[in-house]
Amino acid sequence: MAHAVAKPPRVTRRRTGGGPARTGGPARTGGPARRLPYLLIAPAGLLMLGFIAYPMLSVLYYSLRNYNVTKPWRNGYAGLDNFTRIFTDDPQFWDTLAFSGKWVVTEVLLQLLLGLALALLVNQTFLGRGLARALVFSPWAVSGVLTTTIWMLLYNPSTGISRYLADAGIGTYGTSVLSDTGTVFWAAVVAELWRGVPFFAILLLADLQSIPRDLYEAASVDGAGRARRFRHITLPHLKDAIILSTLLRGVWEFNNVDLLYTLTGGGPAGQTTTLPLYVANTGINGHDFGYAAALTTVAFVILLFCSILYLRLSKFGGETK
Amino acid sequence: MRTVATAPSHNGATPATTTRNQANKETNPMKPTRRRAPRTAAALVALLALTATACGDDGSTSGEEGSGKGTITFWDNNGGPRTKIWKQIIAKFEDKYPDITVEYVPIPIANVQSKYDTAIQSGGDSPPDVGGVGTAYLANLVAQGALDPVTDRIGDSALKGKLIKNMVESVRAAGGDDKELYSVPTSANQGTLWYRTDLFKAAKLPAPDSWDNFYKAAEELTDKGRNKFGFTLRGGAGSIAQALDMMYAQSGIPSFWNGGDAGDGEGGEGGEGGDKTTLNDPKNVAALEKYIALFKKVTPAADLNNDFAKMVAQFDQGDIGMLQHNLGSYVDHVRLLGKDKIAGIPLPPSRQGAARTIVSNPVDGLGLFKASKNKAAAWKFIAFAASPEMNSLWNEDVGAIPANVGAADDGWIAKAPPTKAALESLNDPRTKVVQLPYYLPDWNNISKADNEPSFQKVLLGKMTAKAFCDKVAKELNAAQADWKEHQS
Repeated sequence: MAHAVAKPPRVTRRRTGGGPARTGGPARTGGPARRLPYLLIAPAGLLMLGFIAYPMLSVLYYSLRNYNVTKPWRNGYAGLDNFTRIFTDDPQFWDTLAFSGKWVVTEVLLQLLLGLALALLVNQTFLGRGLARALVFSPWAVSGVLTTTIWMLLYNPSTGISRYLADAGIGTYGTSVLSDTGTVFWAAVVAELWRGVPFFAILLLADLQSIPRDLYEAASVDGAGRARRFRHITLPHLKDAIILSTLLRGVWEFNNVDLLYTLTGGGPAGQTTTLPLYVANTGINGHDFGYAAALTTVAFVILLFCSILYLRLSKFGGETK
Repeated sequence: MRTVATAPSHNGATPATTTRNQANKETNPMKPTRRRAPRTAAALVALLALTATACGDDGSTSGEEGSGKGTITFWDNNGGPRTKIWKQIIAKFEDKYPDITVEYVPIPIANVQSKYDTAIQSGGDSPPDVGGVGTAYLANLVAQGALDPVTDRIGDSALKGKLIKNMVESVRAAGGDDKELYSVPTSANQGTLWYRTDLFKAAKLPAPDSWDNFYKAAEELTDKGRNKFGFTLRGGAGSIAQALDMMYAQSGIPSFWNGGDAGDGEGGEGGEGGDKTTLNDPKNVAALEKYIALFKKVTPAADLNNDFAKMVAQFDQGDIGMLQHNLGSYVDHVRLLGKDKIAGIPLPPSRQGAARTIVSNPVDGLGLFKASKNKAAAWKFIAFAASPEMNSLWNEDVGAIPANVGAADDGWIAKAPPTKAALESLNDPRTKVVQLPYYLPDWNNISKADNEPSFQKVLLGKMTAKAFCDKVAKELNAAQADWKEHQS
């Protein structure tokens, strides 16, 4: 009798094509069959909870608190005080946000242009192309801290380029581009370009190689020159790759801490301090984790808003005319 | 259990008697989503609760005395430069106590405070049993309840009465507790004026034992066209500590707090523990202006970003006449320049014949961490490392002033003139020691992260020395008021 009662629902689920039951499983109980898919995705879900949701909720939680490990007697619920302080009483927030914007725009634009130029160059057929490609891509394999070490040696006034130039009578001894407020920004930009250009070159070269040669041949037959072929065939084909890579690079550059921290320490006089570097200083050196968490939350919202806006305005994934 | 007659399933299957739950599950596949809401909410609440208690065990658990045997962990707060000597001491300790193993962990000096903070906040076994602790961040560790007081343990050990009184008082003051000591002092440092004897001799200049001699030598040893400079200063990390040494030594102001009589610059009655700092006293501002004026005029432009390592490397590898740094760099100078080319003297007195004014440099020590589960073994290690023989060995290697009076008369000190001179100046009853407020939890923020960019602005001429001193003084006065309020 029990058997007769349990059987029909199984048949029903199969006929109606209802979700989880489709995966099969013991007919009489139904429960394990329903749970199986959730069990299968549970590890991924737990990982997401542990590595994405928990840290984000944790930051949000601390952003609403006074939390300074060196003054535990002041710790406690702060409401929106940290956010109010950011927007009304922290000029350093606005300075570092402005510098972050300048840094991202400069870096992404220059890396894109130079990366595209290099990709077009190593996409041509010439003797030693393999070696040229390896050389172009090699800086991408170097870590941020190592990049800093290389460039600090190059910029060092005692052992770097300026010393040899001074020996040759060009410039003066003791020239330090990292200590001069007029040159430090571009010195840091060049060091980061060295590392970042290969990223664009690799991505764009991969996309360039997927453009059918027929298109270029047909355009040539129709009388299109090199510039017109680039404008009407190459660029439209690269559009999605460019949008995605600039977005990714923009986010990475916004969050850049390693190179600037090790190359300039955010100086001199705070002139190369990005918002994430300010957050790191506030939390790690200043021990004010509550305020640092609020700054992080604001930075996250800004990045999210800019990313959505960028994808909308650029019509990512849309048809190209 | 309440039972219901199941409604016919939507395909018209045979009705069955079952529980309400079963009926819901089998007859309406959408139903469970509503029932999932409480579970989701519960999960979220659990998650938030986890978040809320993220600090959980904050490392301030009381730990255990333990058996006095087994393994203990020791964090060296200046890993790298001190690794070799610590490994020697640990080997000797393990010979003497074969049933104790010391796990040595070298921590870079620049990261030591954040490493301690992280370990303490992580709780559990994260903090070490024993750690090197400087007075510059002792208050932070005490505020977090991470250290065990060691006053009684010292009193019951061979260290009783054997530690230099000044250092004991510095450690007590830095811990912010009138009664308890939170670390066993092992060595002290002192600001020293290092100079290249070979360059001074070639230029026929007298030793920089007065401020006039110092400024004159700085100018005369500078020849920018040939990449030669009279002085190198610290404009990057640690710049303010360096500047304070130079300011108070020149101004001669004997106290960091003036007890409310801001502006007279004499410290006096209010002395330590007053409400207003003397840092922005006109004499100190004038001294800072003179010091800042050296930048680029007699120093390399790269000094703007100098931390101690860059500054010392630049001095040891270039043609630079003078450097102001503590005794800790003595070993590097001797190694790279040779003993015959380098000399170190205490900073000159404010004027000829006046008492010398010295800013208290951090006292290094060993702390016993409260969360240790083997405090007996940990204390054996601390007592061994602070014993006269080991303390002498350690300080000889690093060129610092030993804390154990039994080590102070050792022969090596007579053979290390800079250390001997520093010790003599410290022991001179006329010497005024300006005690920096290491006990303030905000001290490190104010004297480092918060104001080092401003100090660079002063060097670049974008901020006046007075504006800088006033800004720092205002923050210090507020921190002092906050601390006093907490104490009361």
